[in-house]
Amino acid sequence: MQEGFIDYQKVLENEEHAIKSTQSVIQKAVDWFRSKSMFVLAYGTGCGAIEMPPTFTSRYDIERIGVVGVATPRQADILIVSGYCSYKTLKRVIRSYEQMSEPKYVIALGSCTINGGMYWDSYNTIKRLEDYIPVDMFVNGCMPRPEALIEGFVKLQANIKDAKREAGYIRYREDNKFYKNNQRKIFGENIEPSYEANFAGMNQ
Amino acid sequence: MIKILKKHYEIEEKGERLFKIYIKKEDLLKTIDFISLSSNFMTLSQISCADWIEDEIFTLNYILTTEKRDKNLMVETNIPRIESKLPTLLNIFPQAEVMERDLHEMYGIDFIGNHTLYDFALEDWKEIPPLRREFDTLKYVNEQFDFRAGREDNKDVKAEIKRRRAEAKRLKNAKK
Repeated sequence: MQEGFIDYQKVLENEEHAIKSTQSVIQKAVDWFRSKSMFVLAYGTGCGAIEMPPTFTSRYDIERIGVVGVATPRQADILIVSGYCSYKTLKRVIRSYEQMSEPKYVIALGSCTINGGMYWDSYNTIKRLEDYIPVDMFVNGCMPRPEALIEGFVKLQANIKDAKREAGYIRYREDNKFYKNNQRKIFGENIEPSYEANFAGMNQ
Repeated sequence: MIKILKKHYEIEEKGERLFKIYIKKEDLLKTIDFISLSSNFMTLSQISCADWIEDEIFTLNYILTTEKRDKNLMVETNIPRIESKLPTLLNIFPQAEVMERDLHEMYGIDFIGNHTLYDFALEDWKEIPPLRREFDTLKYVNEQFDFRAGREDNKDVKAEIKRRRAEAKRLKNAKK
């Protein structure tokens, strides 16, 4: 081997760098397809939403890595929570998240979703988003540039492809009590959303 | 136009473009109705409120503006903090609806005659209105939320800036 070059074969064969995966071959293929087509819900909370138009349009053109915007939660795979969440916004975020079909992932954009950011002493803004909905990828910064958001997408793609981490929606299903208790703590008992059909109003 | 008003009210000139009238809360509707009809301060642009907890009053400023938006007139009135009530301005200015709804939510002021005084930006708010000064925001935040670890060593920003500037100045002087 020539001096100054990395022996990639050796790196790959090293146990430390080997991808420890329990996926079957078909699951691997499914995850690969999944990572290459991510549909993002066109929804913005807070000031971070202003970074999304350049990310999705010709300047940074995120569609080249397979990320597309869609209009409704039922078609979407990814929810970007772009900035601070007030109580009122969080209710809508949770409602949108629960309407999305699985598999679904959440990207939290900006410092406010991590520890409150500049709204750390606000009476009406939540401090840690992952207490209320599971977060798959944090992108820090105030505000993060579109490059940072793209890096977040790429890392999330790698996570999906190699199944390195347990996806958020599985946690949401298994630890549902934890999330619901936290939501109940700030919304009270009349927690939205209620998915029971309103049959009384149907005959009117 | 301000000359006509000067015949009826004591007007304090705060500048070339800003005037102020002090009135009692009983005269509020009458005064604002008169001003909007007889002068060119024809629309309401804002209602502001200040909480003077030491004097037990709220100070409300109704800011009226001209058609060209070049001059402002502030109509100031005081109301007690306890059982604070005022008549609504809905019949004169329809845009007052949202402003009064906001003040009701943030300060708990009742506007008699306004029927939209329910939840606005704060949904399911159970505490006292948050902009009243007896509401301890920091205490509420610490009780309500869990913070991520790592905030313990945060510094007072203003003190830190002052310290760094002093240090930079000291280094600069030492070089000379």
